[in-house]
Parts: sequence; C-alpha cells; structure tokens
Amino acid sequence: MSRTTRVLTVDDSASMRALLNHALTSNGFAVSQADDGVSALEWLAVNEVDVVITDINMPRLDGFGLIEQVRGGTRHRDRPILVLTTESSDEKKARARAAGATGWIVKPFDTEKLVAAVRRVAH
Amino acid sequence: MATLVHSPPGNSVRLTVMQGQFKISAGPRVELSTVLGSCVATCLFDPEIELGGMNHFLLPEPPASHSRGEVDVHYGVYLMEMLINEMLAHGAHKNRLRAHLYGGANIRSGMQQIGTANAEFARSFLLRERIELVREDLGGVCARRVDFRPASGRVRCRTVAASDAPEAKSQPVFSQVPRGEVELF
Repeated sequence: MSRTTRVLTVDDSASMRALLNHALTSNGFAVSQADDGVSALEWLAVNEVDVVITDINMPRLDGFGLIEQVRGGTRHRDRPILVLTTESSDEKKARARAAGATGWIVKPFDTEKLVAAVRRVAH
Repeated sequence: MATLVHSPPGNSVRLTVMQGQFKISAGPRVELSTVLGSCVATCLFDPEIELGGMNHFLLPEPPASHSRGEVDVHYGVYLMEMLINEMLAHGAHKNRLRAHLYGGANIRSGMQQIGTANAEFARSFLLRERIELVREDLGGVCARRVDFRPASGRVRCRTVAASDAPEAKSQPVFSQVPRGEVELF
C-alpha cells in the first residue's frame, strides 16, 4: 500500500490556505500549512514532507527566500517546490526557476491541474 | 484584470472597476469608481505610501459542490488575494492596510441573499487576514455608487437607482480564459 503524499502549503492568506487544504485533502493528500517563509522553515526543521507549495508575496520571508533557503540546506534540498502565485511576470518566473523552484502555477488554481502537478513531482 | 493606474499631471482620471476586476493606484488625480448591487467592493489603502486599490466581486467563495476544473475569478476569495498581492508588490505592507467595504445589498426579491453572503464573506476575510476594517456600508436594498481616491484613501459612497447596478447572476460565469496553468521546470 502506497504512503500518503505529504504536502506543505505556504501562503499568508488564510482563505487561500483553506481552499488549498480542501482541494488537496479531498484528493487524498496529507496537508500541513504555514503562513510565511519563516514559519515554513521552522516547520520543515522538524517534519518530513514530499512536496512544498508556496506563494511568492509573503511577509517576513517571501517565496523566493524560502526556496533559496530550502535549496541551500540539507534536510529538504531535493524536495519538489511548486510556486503558486498570482504573479504572471516572466521575470519573476525566471527568478523562481533560478532559485530552484520545480514548477510554477498561476492562481486562481485549477484543482485538477494542481493535483496532477503535485502527483507528478511527488514521484 | 488588474491595472496599476498612473495619472498624467493635470489630468484627472476616473476609472470604473467592473465585476471581476481590481485596480490599484498611487496617482493623486486617479479616482476608482464602481456601482454595486449585491456585489461587494473592497477599498484598501496603505497610508504610509499613499497607495490604494479596489476590487469588485460577484460571489464570495467557490461552493462545496465546486467541481474540479472549474475556476472563476469573480469569486471574492481570489479577488481579495489578487488585490492584496498587487498592493504588496508595489510596496504596501499588509499590517498597514486599512479597508472599506461597500455593497452587498439584496435588491431583487426572490433571488438568493447573495448580497448578505458577500458582505459576510468580506467581513470574515478581513478578520481572518487581520486587516483593519475602518468603514463599511453594507446590506440594505439599495444600489450604491462608490468613488475611491486611492492615493488619499478618501471614499464617497452614495445610493443610486437599482437599475444603475449591474445585475448579479445567481450562478457564476465561468471564465473562458485558462486559469491555474501549470509549468514544470
């Protein structure tokens, strides 16, 4: 029996976290949540995860900073990180890619496409 | 959908924020306007950098029955997120944001109480996000016209004829524009 895929969602919007939580848990994922990059790093320091989904614009530590710190560490450096954002600029997409993001998803998200992307990068 | 509005010196610019849209500006001569029935408009303002923005949403959140693959940017939960993110991207700080809420009327009898649902969603969203609500004019049975000066945060809200308000649909109109596109690197 395959293990449940564990997803950490990082977004400063409680409403968006709730939407993501509903979309992912109803498709069989185990979801944890963090409200910014700093909280995500604190959570990642003591927990295991299969996929991280992060917003870009967040207080304290934004999505770019989070990706850079995860990639620069040891514990989760190879974990897939999907950026989920309202940003649409090519410059920011390129910056996320250069920082080590695994993929780029535009909000508002399409649950079917989001779930397919998470399954694809998790395995 | 979104626009950062600039105003040339000497010229006043009045822009309408339609259903499903949001706009932000720091232009001192810019005025963002909208007419609301059951829809709700959120006016956000960061006084320190004199930047403001307005959204105009039709419905609060996707229903529990929202099927996979259907996405609509007319939902408040998306338009709130987009407005806040656009303001943050232009230098606003979330803890400085102040909000006004307008609209949410139940003008047409026999329809679902969409206005009430929109108003309740907007209030609870701001509460969840810890954004200060400094003024609201929500509910009732009258349409409203809202004129917002984003650089000063000043708002004028007045009652208008119900026929002036755009008709809200009880069912969302799903966007024809592909959303939620995924690109794996």
